Amino acid sequence: MVEEVLAHSDYIDKYTRELVMSERLERGLQTLRAQMDTKVKSFFSSCVHCGICAEACLFYTETNDPRYTPIYKTEPMRKVWQEEYTFWGKFGKKLGLTKSLTEADLANWEELVYDGCSMCSRCSMVCPVGIDIAYIIRKVKEALAASEYSPEGLVAATKRAVEIGSPMGVKLVALQAQIKHVEADTGLSIPMDVEGADYLALLSSMEIINFPEYIEALARIFKHAGVSWTLCSEAFEATNSGLQIGNSVVAAELVERVVAGAYKLKVKYVISPECGHAFSAIRWDGPNFIGRAYDFKVIHILELLEELRNSGRLKTSGKETERLTFHDPCQIVRRGGVEAQPRQLLKSVAENFVEMTDHGRMNWCCGGGGGVSANERAEGLRLKAFNRKKSQLDELNVDTIVTACANCRLVMEEGLEENEMDIPIVGLTEVIAEHLVED
Amino acid sequence: MIAGFIDGPLWYFSLTVFCIGVLWKLASIIFGKRKNDLSVARASGIPGAIKTVFSRFKADKGMVPHIRVQIVAGYMFHLGLFAVLFFAAPHILFIEENLFNLDKIGINWLAMPHWAFIVASEFAFLGLLMLWLHRLMNPVSRLISTADDHIAAILTFVVMLTGCMALLEGFSELRLLHRFCVELFLIYFPFSRLIHAFTFIPSRAFTGAWFGRRGISS
Amino acid sequence: MSNSFMLKHSQIFTRPIYCVIYLLLLFCLFLPFSASASGPATSKVNNPANDLWMSVRHNTESGKITSQVKSLDSTVLINSRAEQWTWFRMTLLIKYSIVALVLMIIVILLIFLIRGKIKLQNGLSGNMVHRFTDYERIIHWMLAILFIFLATTGLILLFGRPLLIPILGQEVVAIMASASKEGHNLFGPLFFVSLILMLFRFIKRNIYERGDLTWLLRGGGMIGKSHVTGGFFNMGEKTWYWMVILIGLAISVSGLTLVSPSLGQGRLIMELSHVIHSVAAIILITVALGHMYLASKGTEGTLESMKTGYVDIKWAEEHHDRWAKECHENNKIISAQDYARLQGKNIPNQSPDQSSLVEERK
Repeated sequence: MVEEVLAHSDYIDKYTRELVMSERLERGLQTLRAQMDTKVKSFFSSCVHCGICAEACLFYTETNDPRYTPIYKTEPMRKVWQEEYTFWGKFGKKLGLTKSLTEADLANWEELVYDGCSMCSRCSMVCPVGIDIAYIIRKVKEALAASEYSPEGLVAATKRAVEIGSPMGVKLVALQAQIKHVEADTGLSIPMDVEGADYLALLSSMEIINFPEYIEALARIFKHAGVSWTLCSEAFEATNSGLQIGNSVVAAELVERVVAGAYKLKVKYVISPECGHAFSAIRWDGPNFIGRAYDFKVIHILELLEELRNSGRLKTSGKETERLTFHDPCQIVRRGGVEAQPRQLLKSVAENFVEMTDHGRMNWCCGGGGGVSANERAEGLRLKAFNRKKSQLDELNVDTIVTACANCRLVMEEGLEENEMDIPIVGLTEVIAEHLVED
Repeated sequence: MIAGFIDGPLWYFSLTVFCIGVLWKLASIIFGKRKNDLSVARASGIPGAIKTVFSRFKADKGMVPHIRVQIVAGYMFHLGLFAVLFFAAPHILFIEENLFNLDKIGINWLAMPHWAFIVASEFAFLGLLMLWLHRLMNPVSRLISTADDHIAAILTFVVMLTGCMALLEGFSELRLLHRFCVELFLIYFPFSRLIHAFTFIPSRAFTGAWFGRRGISS
Repeated sequence: MSNSFMLKHSQIFTRPIYCVIYLLLLFCLFLPFSASASGPATSKVNNPANDLWMSVRHNTESGKITSQVKSLDSTVLINSRAEQWTWFRMTLLIKYSIVALVLMIIVILLIFLIRGKIKLQNGLSGNMVHRFTDYERIIHWMLAILFIFLATTGLILLFGRPLLIPILGQEVVAIMASASKEGHNLFGPLFFVSLILMLFRFIKRNIYERGDLTWLLRGGGMIGKSHVTGGFFNMGEKTWYWMVILIGLAISVSGLTLVSPSLGQGRLIMELSHVIHSVAAIILITVALGHMYLASKGTEGTLESMKTGYVDIKWAEEHHDRWAKECHENNKIISAQDYARLQGKNIPNQSPDQSSLVEERK
């Protein structure tokens, strides 16, 4: 009698549990299915689980935790691919031999994907079968964001970006205050909402708040080179939180704001500032987010500076004598293609420029990209991952670090402080501006 | 009777499954729907795609000290197996007679000397054994490996081993055992990790094109 | 734990005393063999054909026998030595190989049944220390797998006729033997390569040093009650290493000689090679059985060193105290939690039975 009752209630339990599927899981699964494309299928078919990608990822090399292996971070998507597109997967699912993705999996993978990955793509460069692992991780982020398994810090930043216009909550008044300081320091005026200017310059909140010397540098360089430029009061933010959290709808909305601003001011070019993910968002992913090509061109500030220098419009004098190196921001160099320009620029104003062992397209990430720096929970891991950059710097023994991304700059400053290393970090645009020939 | 089955219907069945499976997989990848990239490319992705198909054969210098086992054992196995498969006398004879009736057209190619056959197969065995043991011993590959990976490795090893055991070519049972294992291998191939032997080309090409559009060699 | 006189320390059963005794025994077994069968007594009546026969039979008038075929051993018409070799191969070797192997298996079974698994005095602590790298474990298991394969195929070839044919019949055994011969010949050189890799990788840690003699004199803990000391490898393990290397090299070199008959060596070298190869192999197989038992079921905490590369610090303190001391001094000990993390088992907040991905990965 007792056994019968138990057996009956077991059956009810199982039956009910299968009916009431969590909505979050459902959304996550739907998104994973929607994100599946030929490339992903090709990638998963080719992966032989060799583990080489782990050796390229600083989150693995500095912790030796195999769970940070790049391809392991894509497991939720691999599971869906296996169940829906492979013979054995379909076979196993039909016979009930294999377990489908559960909500616990999504919850477990949140930390791996958001804390333990900065989307730097170094793994994509070393995979022997050519898998672009970061491409897949980006899609997994989409599913985690849809199922609301994203870090609090990032969610808050995204909310601020959508509602206020900046992930750090920087409003126009704050920007205007900074502009006032720059105008006072330089004696130049910063053009705002100038219709018909050639270039619309975007800024990242990080630069506005922490490194306003970038704005000053822009003003001086553009005056010197005779560049017609402007800021836009309705679209000054370059950072794209949608890209960082993995929400294409938010990402598209943020890109549309820039597009609208560029259209309103009828500019020819939009300049992406010294911020890695901003460049990826506006230059490469933007048109795909909004579903149409722009009627303006996007150029990175470093590309523009090099163009100006090359054509003779930008003249510099004097060289830095300090021993310095360049930290390549992943999204600008490896994933953005702006590899040669920073080097040409830096060589023109520095005589003791040394490269880190792994540099350029094979550089090591600062550890804070892709939203990791906005995620307070990830701080411990991020500081540990910084050990990779630390060992690169220890090898070189430089006096200064030059970089071209405000986020990298802040993350590295924190890392250097944590390790009691006293090396100043400067932005490349700033360095160029310091060496302008005064006329 | 079993011999007739292995030399006859099972051979044709396994060959068909293999060919259709591989073609289907490749077709689904090459002709699969892909979203057009609307961003302005710096350069066409095609040169990047082609370059990357070949460039991934060489590991980045900085990575080499950390992945030595995979590189050394990997090449030993793949090159050894390739040499044995296509340049060992019994295999050449088999291909000519059974696969494309090449002997009737008069196409044949030179077999390697017997000692080279032995050396190549030893490289293949050593490489495969080392790779499989590495998969078990290294915490990363141990975590990410699936049953498929192990079955593929062991099945490949069994195919090679049965081939080795039949080397004397004195007992038809051993030859049949080897052939049977090969047929199992061919049937398993398209539904497993082994298909990477073909899909690595479009995978590398996709990534090469993606980076190539951005002007980065990968 | 009971301080049983005979069984204080696990290593003694594969270690020097046992091996020494065994080697002595083996040596004694060969004494009758060394007395070669003498030739037939010289007949009292001088039969002229007898002289011819004698010189042919024993090749006594070398130089007087010439041949048109100018190749190695072509003047040898009857190889008398071969009778002794055949007797060795078909009678002595088979008989004593079976004795040795069966004896060893019985000894192991007895130890397992009577003594059971040798546990640590103070139990496992969960705090681990790194002992073997990935590469070192790969080499070990490669050598082990190759050895087992070669031993199996070799024993099939050795015991095929007397033991297997009566059971399985001639046809089946012919196939098995052919397959085994091909496999054995192909994998032999791989064993040699793996042996060289192992030689270079572990040689530094296996040089005998101060303290090892103490270990030996105390019989690995057998004589006297005081604790025996050991470095990274204790004396018993070092001896096993040198056995593997030296006997393994003997097997490899003789094996390579056997597998390449057309290098200019004659029958004598081939016969000698075969004797060395088979005797050395049987010795190594026998002792390897002991090693396999002790390193796995026989001792608590040992197999982990070759599976994961990490050992419990308590295991290190009990079996390799000098190395354990170094680990303490250099802060090499990691907590159980860190160890789990390094093995990829640090799943933040989820019980395994709810996750589909974590369960798959064992």
